[in-house]
Amino acid sequence: MPPVIVLPLLVIAGIFIAVIVVRPEITVARGGKIMAFLALFIFPALLTVLGFAGHMERSKQTSFCLSCHIMGPYGRSLYVDDSSYVPAAHFQNSRIPRDHACYTCHTNYTIYGTFRDKFRGLVHAYKYYIGRPANPIRLYEPFNNRECLHCHLGARSFEQGAVHTADAQTMADIKSNKLSCVSSGCHDTIHNVEQQDKVKFWKPVQ
Amino acid sequence: MTPTQDGLVSKKLRAAGILIILSLVVQGLSLVWNHPLAFVAFLVVGGLLLLTGLGMYVWVLLVSGESQAKTAGQTVKN
Repeated sequence: MPPVIVLPLLVIAGIFIAVIVVRPEITVARGGKIMAFLALFIFPALLTVLGFAGHMERSKQTSFCLSCHIMGPYGRSLYVDDSSYVPAAHFQNSRIPRDHACYTCHTNYTIYGTFRDKFRGLVHAYKYYIGRPANPIRLYEPFNNRECLHCHLGARSFEQGAVHTADAQTMADIKSNKLSCVSSGCHDTIHNVEQQDKVKFWKPVQ
Repeated sequence: MTPTQDGLVSKKLRAAGILIILSLVVQGLSLVWNHPLAFVAFLVVGGLLLLTGLGMYVWVLLVSGESQAKTAGQTVKN
């Protein structure tokens, strides 16, 4: 839910709570008890859920991920003018939503994947501000084909691609994540941030 | 409820309210600040203040409920 809606609700809840704080004796009466329960329990709990949903949604934005300095080169890699760069090709051709670019490929498409990612995000924040972030940063685990197949499964270019269908085993291995899309010598030019000084960048038309 | 208990309950209720208001302020500020730390502030600072405030309020509910039950018991005896 957008902050424009949550913020006025926070103010309204704050006013109700302030009444209880200033005049706690009103809670002696039945009506006051009900008001106190709504103001001190129900409203804050609901607003926290709404606020949490808002934060979760906002943390999926590309600008959110790139607000950490260490992510800068990865954000720039989305503008590399070379179609062999997988993230750049996806970003520039709108194969993924540009405002959710990082999240779309790096989330874990499982039932609690989003929550697990956000928990990891907290760990990232801790490492960034208090600990020592890895340099270069690394994925926690090898990139799972599941994340690619979330979109590509069933697509003609994937299902009927010449290399993918070269033999039945190849397709089975891709689908079962035995043969990685990104590290098997096929689609293996990813962010490649070490090479950024040697590439040209695409400038989007404003 | 005795006057002493009444005063304590009022104090706790006030404290719970102030903590919850503070948690809402933190939540509100975190929503207008577009930064990863805003999420951390929302969860850690806002969450802790809210949980403490809610805990205190639940304590007030339990204490006042208990004393009401005692008062009702005495009335039946009399």
